[in-house]
Amino acid sequence: MSNGNILVVDDEPIVLDCCRLILEADGYIVHLVQSVDEAIEALRSRSYVLLLVDVKMPVRDGMSLMREVKENWPEIPIVVMSGYPTRETIMAAAEIGAARFIPKPFTPDELLEVVRQFMQKEEEG
Amino acid sequence: MLLYRAVLNEATTRVSQDLNSARELYEARLKAIVSPLAITSMEPHLFSELLSAGKYRLIARLERLAKSGNLDFVGMVNSNGITIARVSREVTQSGISTVINPIAAAALERRVPVSGTVILNREELVAESPALAEHARIRLIPTERAAPRNDEEEKAGMTLAAAVPIMKQGRLLGVLYGGILLSRNIEIVDRIRDTVFQNEIYNGRNIGTATIFFDDLRIATNVLTTEGKRAIGTRVSQEVKKHVLGEGKKWTAPAFVVSDWYITAYEPIEDIFNRRVGMLYVGVLEEKYADIRWNALSVLLIITMAGMLLSIGLGYYLADKIMKPLNRLIQASKDVSEGNLSVVDVGPIAKDEIGLLQRTFYDMIFSLQDRDIQRTAESEIRIMQSEKQASVGRLAAGVAHEINNPLTGVLTYTHMLLRRKDFDDDVRSDLQTIADATERVRKIVKGLLDFSRQTKLNPEPTDVNALVNTTINLLQNQALVKGVSLSFQPGEDLPMLTLDPSQLQSVLMNIIINAFDATDPGGAVTVSTGIGLLAQKEERKGVEIIIEDTGCGIAPHHLDKLFDPFFTTKEVGQGTGLGLAVSYGIIERHGGTIMVQSEVGKGSVFTIWLPVEGGHE
Repeated sequence: MSNGNILVVDDEPIVLDCCRLILEADGYIVHLVQSVDEAIEALRSRSYVLLLVDVKMPVRDGMSLMREVKENWPEIPIVVMSGYPTRETIMAAAEIGAARFIPKPFTPDELLEVVRQFMQKEEEG
Repeated sequence: MLLYRAVLNEATTRVSQDLNSARELYEARLKAIVSPLAITSMEPHLFSELLSAGKYRLIARLERLAKSGNLDFVGMVNSNGITIARVSREVTQSGISTVINPIAAAALERRVPVSGTVILNREELVAESPALAEHARIRLIPTERAAPRNDEEEKAGMTLAAAVPIMKQGRLLGVLYGGILLSRNIEIVDRIRDTVFQNEIYNGRNIGTATIFFDDLRIATNVLTTEGKRAIGTRVSQEVKKHVLGEGKKWTAPAFVVSDWYITAYEPIEDIFNRRVGMLYVGVLEEKYADIRWNALSVLLIITMAGMLLSIGLGYYLADKIMKPLNRLIQASKDVSEGNLSVVDVGPIAKDEIGLLQRTFYDMIFSLQDRDIQRTAESEIRIMQSEKQASVGRLAAGVAHEINNPLTGVLTYTHMLLRRKDFDDDVRSDLQTIADATERVRKIVKGLLDFSRQTKLNPEPTDVNALVNTTINLLQNQALVKGVSLSFQPGEDLPMLTLDPSQLQSVLMNIIINAFDATDPGGAVTVSTGIGLLAQKEERKGVEIIIEDTGCGIAPHHLDKLFDPFFTTKEVGQGTGLGLAVSYGIIERHGGTIMVQSEVGKGSVFTIWLPVEGGHE
């Protein structure tokens, strides 16, 4: 797919469903996982052009995943999703190297607007 | 000594008065001599008897006179100065004598009645009566301090006598005279003692004494010698003699009289020839006055002691009645000043002014307690408000987080369905309703999150007037649209405050926009600033921002819920009910307060108070 692979990490199935619905409708290939461990496994087996990650997840949270991604796959931009976007959360994510922050809930247009920026860059690159 | 002098002055004054009384008694005795003589001299047959050769009737008459007049001697002198008859207590002489009694001579010469003190020498005394002459003899007793005197015996006598001329048709026929011998005569002095001093006895001695002196010699006295005898024959001190007899002055002073100190008074006695021949004396035993002094001193001492005892007693009384309740009041005041209102005890309530004070104190305590309770209630409300905010915040965070995920689902699916072109308009309309409603939910949740997000303040020195001005400029367009006038009255000399300008601005905007919503077109919203004191506690200095509107006002039962999260009076969809709650949180974190006064139909006044010193963070 010209639009490349997007990995979405969220423990909430409804959010994963929404992301798939929105992004696939726009022609992206979306890979969905429900935990950090699954995400790392996916990252190791395949290459992705964008990572959408939720902050609050059980066992390991989004922040630890972001650190690992930044360490091992620094070229993959990260978009952080959060249902509880505090100033502290946003600042912490930004420090780790998150590229964008998108608060939940979002409409399809809002999500696409963010995602498209990176995918266009990818295409251009 | 002052006291002694006062006593002495009193004594000398009294003695001086006593002397006057003594003089009157002396004169009274003289009158008692004059009267019978004068009466007798008027008897008509006295002339014939005087002129007749036989003296029997005359003698009898004179004897009667002597007896009735209690006279020592009576006599008749003819116009030639020959004494034709003499009668005394002891003898009657009818023979003719050339020795004439001086007072008879004086009356004969002056042709008027004469009375007074008369000195009779030995010869004259013998002429009156040899027994009288013997009686008059007084042996001098050596006396300390007396003037030196050569003789050892006084043979002359001092008499009190009167002489009345007997006249017939302007012709002097003779003189009738009579008198008493003062020497050894105790009648006058004892009468003085008994009358003037009421015979008062002190330590076995008469307090008051009287003496008749012939020259400086005591010839009649009730001053007693140490042996207890009348001190006849003793003499006055040289000093007194010189003063009274020599200079003719009164003497009033303490004097040594025979053997004791007396407070004394002396005055001269002049005879019918105006010669100072003797002295009249009264004296009061000084010892009595010394004792009076001691008595006075002891009385003074007793008074002093009694006064001290009274003072001590009064002191105890006062301590018990006044100081004890006062001390308890002081202790109670201390308790109160330490904020200890519940254990205040001022003791039993007295019935007097202290009781009034105690009751007033209690009244004050009760008011303070009431105020404390009110304050506690107020601060409890404030604490509840804070706790409410905190718990709502925590709840909101949890709920928001959980709601946002399904909400993402609703939004996504609704919007994805709306993208489809194969639905007819009815379905699309329904989908749009779902989308709009979900959008509202999203806003509510976002508001909740804004509220719960305890974002840190970014304080910086801020000019409140400038900040308010900026905010008002931002809102002027909105005011125009609403038809409400928006004005600003900046206060002068406001201090710079350290606060988060953007957060304060959002508070101001929130309250001003609320004011717009409450105010009908044509109304006014006025913002003013000024120095404000937070009166409730320690009068902290601060700045007040007052937002006043002429709107509909806030119902009283809404006032206390005004800052509660989700409380709104606006129509559904018009407000989240979080604006004022968020504002309250922001001001609170600045260490300030928001107060509201409102009257339904007239408008509301929001007062934001911000401290000059920094807030909580």
